[in-house]
This record gives sequence, structure tokens and C-alpha cells, in this order.
Amino acid sequence: MATISTQLRNFKEPDKDEQALLFFSIPSSGSSGKGQEGKPTSDSHEKMEINAVLSLGGQSQEDPYAGRLHLIPPYLAFSSLDRKSVKFTLPLCTIRRVERLNARAGIYALSFSLWHGMKIVVQLTSLRPTADLFCELLSKALKVELQAGRMKSVKGFSKTCYSENLVLESSPVADNEREDGSLIDGGEKVGDGGAPIFHGGLGLRFKFPGDPKKLREASKTKLWTNYLRVHGRHLTLLRYPQCTRLVQVGLPNRLRGEMWETLSGSIYLRFANPGTYEQILEENKGRNNTSTEEIEKDLHRSLPEFPAYQSEEGIGALRRVLQAYSFKNPETGYCQAMNILAAAILIYMSEEQAFWLLEVICDRLLPGYYSTTMHGTLLDQRVFESLVTRCLPMIHDHFEAVDVQLSVASLPWFLSLYINSMPMVFAFRIVDCFFCMGPKVLFQVGLGQYTSLTNAILKINGEKLLQIQDDGQFIHLMRDYFSSLGDSAHPDSPDPRARAITRFQELLLVSFREFAIITDDTIYAERRRFRGEIITSIESFSKRSSIRNLKSLERFSKDQVGLIYDALFKAICVEPPPAPVPPPVTLLTTKDAVEERPETRIELRTFRVFLSEIATWARDEKVVINGFQQRVDREVAEHELIDRLFYFWDSSFRGSLSFQDLVTGLDGVMFNDLMENIEWFFNLHDKNKDGFLTKDEVLTLSESMLFIFRFEIGDAYLGAISRFMSNAFEYGDALLPQNEEDAGEDALTTPIESNQPYLNLATFRMVVLADEVLESFFETDLSASFRLEPVPLMELPATNSGFLGGIWSNIATEDNKKLFHKLSDEVGKTIGKHHVVHRPSIGRYTRIEEPRARESLLTPGMRRSPSKSSLSPTSPTAAEAPPAAAVSTTSLAPSTASTDTTLSPAEYNSLSLVQAANAALMERTPFAIDDAGDEDDSDEDDSDSEEDDGVLDEVDAFLEAHDSGVTDADRALAKDLINAEPVKQ
Amino acid sequence: MADAASGSADKSVQVKLVLLGEAAVGKSSVVLRFVSNEFQANKEPTIGAAFLTQKCRLEDRVLRYEIWDTAGQERFHSLAPMYYRNAQAAVVVYDVTKASSLEKAKTWVKELQRQANPNIVIALAGNKVDLVQPSPAAAGSSIAESEDEADDATATPGEAGADASEAESLRQVPREEAQAYAEEAGLLFFETSAKTGEGVVEVFTEIAKKIPIEHILASSRGAAGRPGTGGNRPAGQDGVNLDESQTKGKDACNC
Repeated sequence: MATISTQLRNFKEPDKDEQALLFFSIPSSGSSGKGQEGKPTSDSHEKMEINAVLSLGGQSQEDPYAGRLHLIPPYLAFSSLDRKSVKFTLPLCTIRRVERLNARAGIYALSFSLWHGMKIVVQLTSLRPTADLFCELLSKALKVELQAGRMKSVKGFSKTCYSENLVLESSPVADNEREDGSLIDGGEKVGDGGAPIFHGGLGLRFKFPGDPKKLREASKTKLWTNYLRVHGRHLTLLRYPQCTRLVQVGLPNRLRGEMWETLSGSIYLRFANPGTYEQILEENKGRNNTSTEEIEKDLHRSLPEFPAYQSEEGIGALRRVLQAYSFKNPETGYCQAMNILAAAILIYMSEEQAFWLLEVICDRLLPGYYSTTMHGTLLDQRVFESLVTRCLPMIHDHFEAVDVQLSVASLPWFLSLYINSMPMVFAFRIVDCFFCMGPKVLFQVGLGQYTSLTNAILKINGEKLLQIQDDGQFIHLMRDYFSSLGDSAHPDSPDPRARAITRFQELLLVSFREFAIITDDTIYAERRRFRGEIITSIESFSKRSSIRNLKSLERFSKDQVGLIYDALFKAICVEPPPAPVPPPVTLLTTKDAVEERPETRIELRTFRVFLSEIATWARDEKVVINGFQQRVDREVAEHELIDRLFYFWDSSFRGSLSFQDLVTGLDGVMFNDLMENIEWFFNLHDKNKDGFLTKDEVLTLSESMLFIFRFEIGDAYLGAISRFMSNAFEYGDALLPQNEEDAGEDALTTPIESNQPYLNLATFRMVVLADEVLESFFETDLSASFRLEPVPLMELPATNSGFLGGIWSNIATEDNKKLFHKLSDEVGKTIGKHHVVHRPSIGRYTRIEEPRARESLLTPGMRRSPSKSSLSPTSPTAAEAPPAAAVSTTSLAPSTASTDTTLSPAEYNSLSLVQAANAALMERTPFAIDDAGDEDDSDEDDSDSEEDDGVLDEVDAFLEAHDSGVTDADRALAKDLINAEPVKQ
Repeated sequence: MADAASGSADKSVQVKLVLLGEAAVGKSSVVLRFVSNEFQANKEPTIGAAFLTQKCRLEDRVLRYEIWDTAGQERFHSLAPMYYRNAQAAVVVYDVTKASSLEKAKTWVKELQRQANPNIVIALAGNKVDLVQPSPAAAGSSIAESEDEADDATATPGEAGADASEAESLRQVPREEAQAYAEEAGLLFFETSAKTGEGVVEVFTEIAKKIPIEHILASSRGAAGRPGTGGNRPAGQDGVNLDESQTKGKDACNC
């Protein structure tokens, strides 16, 4: 639970192209293994669709169907207008020949000869130029396939399909089979190597579940053999209404696996990615991931009653398939229920087939069901509930009245495709329909169950379902009903045929007939409707548990920590951190430590955004007034101080921060009193934690303060910092041990290096307390600059915007907003009403005046020069002073002045520094943006200007001696800060 | 509605109980032992949650436990509130051979204490103690085998005939440690073995003793909108004494 995921917000509603891919079960280029051949699958080809009428040649008696023909390289797909009667998805490489039919004038028809010798005719009913374009694109796409040599691969692939065998045998297969459907002998089905070359499941060796006679395997197989012979098979299967009908009566066991992969479209993945499954296993041999142990736990608990799963053969297959999946999809990994699915499909299909089918189930058919948040499951439960409300209002109202949650029962149905909810033979028939007709089947059967259950119970027991009082009784009823599915639905009927109808048959009938109105589109629309709700509830749940799992809330209340979480969550949305990784495994780590759940940790980039939400000085806020609107533009600030804070809070030195680190870090500053704040700020800048700041660090600290005060109105802070600097260096020197011993000269001959310990906490405190402005800053303002305020709600991806769903609509509206702002700004400028004001971070001083500095704490004796003089008013010639920017720049840059000057004790005094800083004050614009302030400037700041030249020299000299350790980066930063464009208008 | 609320001896009091704990610590097995006195070596993982009931006679009263056995895997965590909602009792299970499972148990306890019904009675149960007890049936199997199986969750290496010290070495959670934690957090504490049945029934009897039955009756009386709460339910069979655990095998399935 220590991971914070924003992935749900990245959901994007499928666009029209993607919907077509979904509908035709075509693997999207992203989800295919993107083979080693590296062939661009469809990017380079153009897609197109066209009106067409499909007719099937040969011995078939199928009617022609009107519909749409889609060219989606490398596939050709067709669906009838009702989108369910007829449908096919043909890989282009199965097409052997295309001919333009020389038919009557005005008719544009193409004849396709397919690999199986099937011939289909498609009449293009669109306008001529459209049809021409379609043909042109088609022939281009075919050429690509030919050049890629994929035409040849079809033959080899088809040998892996059981249906080829079925059709090739002239004699009906049933003769070759035992009653139970297991293999009598290798016979024709054995390849040259002696092993069966077609893929099959564990059922071939361990017997399929169910009684083959009762299941009428033989006649089903016969029907399918005939159908497949005429309508193509595996890659080239054409789905006519007969196909769906045959699926609904249940697939024959030996054909089931192949039909599942054909109907679900996983066969296209297997075809397009030969060898990928083995390769994944090979590459990850002996490796473990977070899912490995979870999988091991469940291997012996997956359909344990099926004999194969009591043997190493079955267990091994299950292990390999689940592991391969978890390695290929580390984000999803392994979710309980997948073991049941995998175990079930492995009865009917080979490992490779099962692997790809699992991929299609998890990725396309049941998206998000097995993800770490299980959002897909929750969403579909919500959808199901809404469908019950709509279709069976009576039942819904009743459940509501007795406070029973529907999903209590239905959640496992959906998660395991009914496999462990009803007897296996029946569950597999639902699975047949699921692969053939899509996810809507789960909903239809669910609704059908409630209906049949009500009907059945009404007949037996009056309104029993409606008397249910709690979840428990409800579950009992469902369970009884499930276990009686094989019973006759009409046991008392005089008609033997009616008596033969099982409850299961009736269930399917009710499900598909009464709930035919529920289509895949219904499901998609409902999912769209509820997605926002589900995401919000998942996010608030994970927020609650993240907070609960904190080792310590420190001194914050739960609500406050919630606000910190919100800020963190927003930052993660804006700047996603790298995927959480489990803590590094060392030799010493025990097995249990490996299990420790990965934790979301943010990096510096994300931290900047986070801090900008909380600390007022970590963002640049501009108040824009343009006559139409007043708005606040907020940008994330960047400064060395922010980076410093990041590493300061990274107590475990991992280069990243956890939620706990942030809470603890904020705790370290937000509850501080004056002394604690001074110490905190000192420690923040004491990089090596030796209890001393070096001279460099004193300068950095000053820069940090300059950064914090950059938008304050007036000069108070600037003055304070300049005084701080002068005092710091003055006292620092004064308090150096050697200075006290040898009065002056020695110390000066051995000037302390800029990176040597220089200023201790006590001195720092003294310097700070010497100044009213800084004192008040440290007393309250520093702590108060960290504010836990409600983060504006992040907009969820719009759910009602159709194709423009998801993040795109978000961006679109953001863009629109920006556009609007820009426009109104322009208008504002032309009518002269456009103002931009930086919002100050502290905002203590709303006027320009500077509070008087406090009397120094140092006794006059300790002082080498009267520092008070720095404040003495002098002639107001400030206007003629050299540009102060130059002063401040040089003050932080190496100068060329000779070192001799430095050594003169007379000039090496605080006065010079203060004067320099005060001179810098005149360049106020970077720090104070206030038009009205201009006149006041001169009154206050030009005190020292008459000494300008001398001051400059002295500053240069001083800095020459003490400033050499400043890194270029620091310097550049300072320069940038100081030269920052004044923000006027 | 007066008769429904009276809670007289022949009416059973409904108690909703939820089982929580890390995956494969044996939650379902504990319930199965309690409900039908059975043990299955390879029990399918619970998907979502399973529901079972068992009656339990306590002095003059019959308690009807409605047990929600939840899925243990981490990602099912977000579903748990649906099941512990309104629960009057919870059994948080850990595996004595797996230290991490106690940690997970602690987070469950924390969550229950903050999110669930404030009067909820929580019991902590360290399951699989049979693995850390010397087994009388000394077979030739090696300790290595036992360890393998121990990883295998519900698999039960207890059948391996390890002697006392070897068996004890499998233990990762000392009884004293867990007990101290339970006392501190105000939980009932047990060590159990779903396999041998040790301690399982006690968990439920002790909970029954601690449950504020009058309170439950009072609150169900309060729920006037629910006709016949506690009273009008299909009476079913007579309550059973716990020690003669009724066998209801068919009822006990996942769904």
C-alpha cells in the first residue's frame, strides 16, 4: 500500500481506430510482442473501410451479407451491418489471390482466394473512386506481406491447429476417439518426430471434465468439422450465425482450445509472435520477481480436483504460463483468480496458446480486472449493479432496502469467469460464449441468473429471493442454485422434452434472449459513465491506507497529513516518478524482506512540484489583472534551496523521498518556534553537519533568504539580509578563537579559507536576532510559509467527452484556458488595464518602509568599526550611483582588485559590506515589484552613495579574499537571480 | 417486532465475523475446520470472499456466526471494507512460520481499529502451529522437504516427522512476541492449527463470550426498517454446541 499510483488517470477511451481493433480482436501494435523481426506492423500502412457485400463461394449456402469491409494492415476484416451476424478477421498473408471480377457494369467486386481454398466475393458498394482507393491500399498492404515472407509462415502455423487434422481426415473423427475424448493413439495426429504436432491441452492426457456422451462430443465435433471445412478455420475462420449457434451449444472438448484462441483473437498474437513464449521463459530462467512467490503459493490450489494439477506435469505448465505472463507484464504481475483461469484454459490448450489467451483476457477482454488496484473489476461491478437497477428494478430495490451489496456475490463470478462458481462443465460453456461474444456475456449471464433464480424460486417457494434479509442468505441461495444447474428446469412437466431442459439451458436462454439488449456498446458506455466514480473511490481508499501505513504522523493531524498526501499526489500526476522498485535485494536480505511491498518514492523533479504546493516561496505566483479577470498564474520555482531541502529530508540517502520522509521533513519545520527555526535553517545549510557554516555556506544561506524574499514588497528583507551578511562576517571574524588571542594581525595574515568551518550556531543565532526583520521571519513566517491548504481537485479525465476522453480532453481544456488567458491579456494590454503582480511569499510588509534594525548585540568593544554608521543617513545622491546591479554582481564574482586592500584592517570592516549591500538595494526591481515604490527608494537607500567608489573597491577586495570558494553554479545562480528581469506590467 | 428483539434463548443472535490476513496463512482452512470440522490440504485461494455460517451455543443463547472469509492477496485489500462493514467480530490470522504475516496482521488490526465498527471484537490467531510442534508420527522425510512445503502456503509439512528442535526452528513468530502485541492492542490471542483442529473452536467461543450480545440485539432493534431481524429468519435446525461441530460440508464452498 505504500505505492501511490496515478495510472488510473492516464486512462484513455479508445478512439475509433482502437474500437475497430477491439471489435475485430486485432492485436494493437503495442500489445503484440513486437517481434524480433522488428517489422512495423501497421504504422506505415493506411487503414480504410468501405461498404461491401460479402458472399461466400464454394459449397456454402450462406446468404450474402451487407456490411463494412475494413483494411487494417496486416488484416482484412468484415462485419455485417448488425455487427453480430457475420464477422471475420483475416491476416492478409492468408490471402492467396485477389481478382477484380469482371461482372456487370457498375458492379465493383473482388474475389479473394484464401489459403484454405475458400473463395469469398466482396462487392464494394461505395462510389467508384473510393473503391479504387481501397483496392490500391489493399494491394500495397498485400505486397508488404509478400515481401516480408509471411505468406509462407501460414502453412507451418496451420499444422499447430487441431482443426486442420479434423478437416483433413476423411473419416469422421469420432471414430478415432474413445468415449471420453482422449486420444486412442498417435495415429495421424503424430508428426514425423512422433509427437503430436498440433497444440492441445492437459485434457488430452488427463481426460476432459464431464461425460463425453452426455456432452454429445461426437455430434458436436461432426457439426464443427463440416462448418470448418466450408467456412475456414483458425486464422481464416469466417463467423456466420451458425458459428455462434454452435458455440452456444458448447464446444467439443478437443476443439475447444483452438476455438477459444480463434474466437478471442489470441491466435493472431501467437501467429505474429512465434517463439516469444519460449523466449520469455528462457530469458527469465531462474529469475524471481515479486509475483514468483505469490504464484508458488497458489499452484497447488488451482482446480486441485483436476488430475493434471495433482501431477508435476500440470503444475509445471501452470507455473510456466503464470510466470511468463508476470514477466511480460510486470505491472500486473499475478493476481489470484488468474491461477484459476490459467488452470482452466490449460486443460484445453497448450502452454503457448494459454499464454497468449491469458494476455488477451487480461489486456483486452477484462481490462484492469487483475491490475494491482483491480479497478476493472470494481468498475464492472458498478456497471453490473447499474444494469440490475435498469433491467431488474424490483430485485435491485429489494437489495437496497435490506442493505445487501450485489457485488458480494457477483465479484467472484466475473473475476474467475464463473469457473469456480458453478460446476466446471457449465462454466466452460459460459467461457465459450464469452470468447465468442465478448465481455457482455458475463453481464448477461449474471442478469440471467438473478432472473432464473427468481423465477425458479418463485415457482418453488413463493417470493423467497425477495425475503432475503442479509448477504449471507443471499449467498446461500445463489450457491444452491449454482449446484442445481444440472437439474431439470421443469421437473414436474408431463412433457419429457420439457423435463430434459436443464436449469443451465434455461439460464443461457434467459441470458441471451431477455438480455439481448445488452451489447458491448452498452457495457462500454456504462463503463465510461462510472469510471470517474470508481477512480475517485480507489484513490481515496489508497489515500486512507497510505496515511494509515505511515510509521508516524509526527505532530500532524490526520487531516493535515491528508493535505500533504494531496500535494504529493498532485505532484506525482504532474511529474510522474519512476515506477516503484522493491528495495534492493542484498545477500543478507531474508526472504521476507523481498516481499516488502515496493514503495513510491519521488525524485527531485517531483519534489519541486510538491514543495511548490506547500511552501509559498517555492512557487512563482503572478497575479494577473487585465480588466476582464483576475487570476493567479502559478509556476514551480527552481532554486538551489529547494534542491538542498530535498537532500536534507532524504534521511536514508537514497536520492528519493517517500511519503513518510515528506511528512517527517515538514514536521521538522512547521512546528518550530524561533530558536528551532534558526537552528533548522542553520542545519539546512550546514552541509557536513559539523556544527559550523563555512563562509561559502554563509553566502549560500544568504542567497537562500534572498530567494525566499524575492517577491516581498519593500526593502525590509533586502536590508535585513545585507545587514545579516555584514554582521555574520563581522561577528564571525570577531569570534574566531585566534582573533581573540592575537589582536588582529595574525588572523588577517592567515585568513580563514572559504570552505573551512567558520560560523557556529550560537553566532548565527546572535546575528539573526540582531535583526528585527529576520527575527520575525524565523519566529513565525518561516514555519508559516509552509501551508497545508486544500489542493484544488485534480480534474478527472472527462468521462462524457466520447472520443476525446482521458487526458487529452484535459490537455485540450488546459490549452483552451491558456488561449483564453492570452487573449484576455492582449485585450487588457491594449486598453491599458493589464497588470501583473508577483504575489509575495511572506507578505508581512505591505508597505515599502523598512523597520529599523535593532541595536547590535555585540558590545562595542568587540566591534572593529561602528556598524551603526552603516545606517547613518548621507547625502541623497543615489540617483547618480553606478548601476547597483553591477555591484551585486561583482560582489559575488571574483574581482581583480589586489589583495592588499583586504589586509588593511581599517577598510576591512562591516561598513563596507553594508554599504555594498545597501547599494545593491537600489537595484530593487528584482525583489520588489511595486510601481509606487519608486520614489521612496531614493529616500531610504542612498545613504551611502557618496562613498560609492571606495565601497566598490572594498567590496571587491573583501570578496576576493573570502569568496573564492563559490562554485560557478552558485555564481551563475546568484547572477540569474539578481539579474532577473524586473516584472513590470 | 417485540418478539424479534427479545433475544430469547431459542432465537439465534446473528454475529457477522470477518477473517483477514495475508495470503495463504490458512484463513479458509480455519473456517472450514470450524464450520465443518474438515481439513483440505490444497484449498483453492479465495477469490473476493467466501461466505459460511455456523451456529454456536453459549449458555442460554445461540449465536449464528455469519463468516466472511476474505481473499488475502494484497490487491484484494481494497475490497475488504465491503466485507468488514458492520462486522461485530474479526479474526486476523497470521502464519507462525512466517514473520511477515504477523506484520500484515498488524496492519489489518490497525485498519480495523480505525475503520471498522468501533465495538468490533478482534482475535489474533497464529495458524499452522502443527508445523512447529514435534510430530509423533516420525516419517523419514527430511527437514528440507518441510521447509519447501512451508513456503507452499497451505501445504502442510506437519506430516514430516521433524523432532522438537527442528520443528521449533520453523517458527518465525515466537508465541510470546505475538501475545505481547495482542495484549498491547487489546486483542484476543490464540495459536491454532486448522490441520489438527487445535485452538480453532476456542477462537470462536472466546469471541462469543466477548461479544456484547445485548448491544447487538439493541442495535438490531433499532434497525426498524429491517423486518424480522434476528427473529423471523428461517429457523433452521436447533443450535448446536460448539464441541459437536455440525458438519455442513456442502455449504462450505467458495462463491
